[in-house]
Amino acid sequence: MTAFIARRVAIGIMLLLLMSVIFFALTRLTPGPPFSPGEDPKVKQEQIDKRIHSVGLDKPWYAQYPGYMIALSHGSLGDSYQYNKPVSQLLAERVPNSVLLLMTAITVALLIGIPLGIFAATRQYSKVDMATSLVSYVGISVPSFVLGLFLLLFGSVYLRKLTGNAISFPLFGMHQGDNTSVADLVWHMVLPVTSLAVLSIAVYSRFMRSSMLEVLHQDYIRTARAKGLSSRVVNYKHALRNAALPIITLIALEIPQLVSGAIITEGIFSWPGMGQLAFQATVVRDYPVILGVVMLVAFLTVVFNLLADVAYAVVDPRIRY
Amino acid sequence: MANPPVDPVLPGGGRPRPGIGGERYEKAVAAEQELRTQSIPEGIDVPDLPEEAEIGFWRLALLRFVRHRVAAFAFIVLALIGLTAIVVPLLQGDLYRLQDYRHGYGAPLQFHPRQVAPLGISFTMPWTDHLLGTDDLGRDELARLIRGARVSLSVGFLAMLGYLIIGGTFGALAGYYGGIVDNLLMRFTDMIIAMPFILVVVAVTAAFGGVSLDKLILVIAFLGWAQIGRLMRSQFLVLRDSEFAQAARALGASDWRIITRHILPNSLTPIIVSATLGVSGIVLLESALGFLGYSVAPPEPSWGNMLGEFEAHILKDTLYLVFFPALALVVTALCINLVGDGIRDALDPRQR
Repeated sequence: MTAFIARRVAIGIMLLLLMSVIFFALTRLTPGPPFSPGEDPKVKQEQIDKRIHSVGLDKPWYAQYPGYMIALSHGSLGDSYQYNKPVSQLLAERVPNSVLLLMTAITVALLIGIPLGIFAATRQYSKVDMATSLVSYVGISVPSFVLGLFLLLFGSVYLRKLTGNAISFPLFGMHQGDNTSVADLVWHMVLPVTSLAVLSIAVYSRFMRSSMLEVLHQDYIRTARAKGLSSRVVNYKHALRNAALPIITLIALEIPQLVSGAIITEGIFSWPGMGQLAFQATVVRDYPVILGVVMLVAFLTVVFNLLADVAYAVVDPRIRY
Repeated sequence: MANPPVDPVLPGGGRPRPGIGGERYEKAVAAEQELRTQSIPEGIDVPDLPEEAEIGFWRLALLRFVRHRVAAFAFIVLALIGLTAIVVPLLQGDLYRLQDYRHGYGAPLQFHPRQVAPLGISFTMPWTDHLLGTDDLGRDELARLIRGARVSLSVGFLAMLGYLIIGGTFGALAGYYGGIVDNLLMRFTDMIIAMPFILVVVAVTAAFGGVSLDKLILVIAFLGWAQIGRLMRSQFLVLRDSEFAQAARALGASDWRIITRHILPNSLTPIIVSATLGVSGIVLLESALGFLGYSVAPPEPSWGNMLGEFEAHILKDTLYLVFFPALALVVTALCINLVGDGIRDALDPRQR
């Protein structure tokens, strides 16, 4: 087990190093400079050249790369071109907001999706099962940005009109002005969390249902039933334990994907998270920020993959590494 | 006693139908006839082969799919959308980008009486110039929706083709050869999976300064094949040690022949299912990119970039301009998912 973890960690580090090279090259080799005069006629070309020289972009990418890695080994991700702040500081401001949003969404999705899947599987082909399938189909087919859009439209714009300015969900942001109370935060989170959670609920309930059905058709379940155990004990004690295993992998693999998907949700609801930060950075070619976010997500993916494998081995004694 | 001429059963199951097998069929029939007349002694009754033709795997799957009513219906809807996307833009020409500033924000479903005279008979009937209204620049919404379907579907299917070619090759080689090849290819796949997909696609397309349809398909195909690759690898990993692959190897078949003729056909079922379901994922991804402004460049419409202007429409209360592309998107994705599930049920009834 220790050898397995050590080997995986080594592979993970190599993977991240390789990715840093590729992404570093990719950002530097793509056409278009990060600094351009834009529409301001007062900006002179010499100033732009000076700026490009000061961040070292006039050198070829392989000459810039060692500098980036040396800075990284000292814990620095470089300075953002756009904000003139260290990228690590920007990430420290934005990442907690994203984590708050995503973790809430995942928790809500798990709390609803998994019981729904179990419920549907234990009553296969019943009306509840059919309804769950239908809802999850629609949930999978509605992209989160369309859902977010309509939530914004109905929850914010129409609700306000309907109730005469009395009740409406906030249109954007995390807080109303300087109000930093928890209630205000929760009120601001309702719509973005809903738009993120619906897709995950659909995925989890579908996955849980098929996983549970597969287990319920196995021989040991028939044996348990033949022993005369109540269906509650069979379903929740015998079947659920094995059926819940694959969910661990699913969640671990979903989290980094969600970060990527949150770019759009954060954009719609103007949520000050790292998705929004990264998107704005790609628009203005703020290389250090793009690299920082990409490497952070890659790091998370590698870590969660490893955690999933270890967790799997812990809960399932049949698996040996 | 003489036996009636019978259709032979060819190795590999199924019977050749007359007129289809050609020379191979004729030879097989002749051989079977000779066998039956020569080697059977007089007086021994040979039971006739069953009259009804055996149904092959794919035909059986097709029958199951057609009987799956929801999936068949979804397939018809999808085929109609696809046909419209191909045919209508050819007939309409440039209608999707013709601007009419005087009639911007035209409401949908506005009929007015109009004199028409087909075949010399003149009568009045309800008529509309723009069935689904017009957008801010007075462009016909329906024409734009249909043109957008062309973008969505071609990106969906062609990028999936790219996934299959790239991921399929990677997965097949990794699974079949194992060892160091497997290790290298799979670490590369891990790397692709570890990237934040949307962000990287946005970064790459942003770098090219707005993309054309073909570049968009290539970017998505090169960044998204990893899941198919992993699936293909797991299939090949199991099947390369199967009895039939060993038998082929013992007979001296080359690696290429074993991979393409023996393992590939047997690994197709889960790949087909996963690929079909994957198409809807790509369609949604393309619309998300369009929404962010990184799909095909205007004036070329895509459902995503039609939705991207939602803020203006919310303020102007022209909700139909958000509603129609959203509906088109959801219906298309739903149909693809339903067809994919129908195919899974048809190919592998145990998973139902």
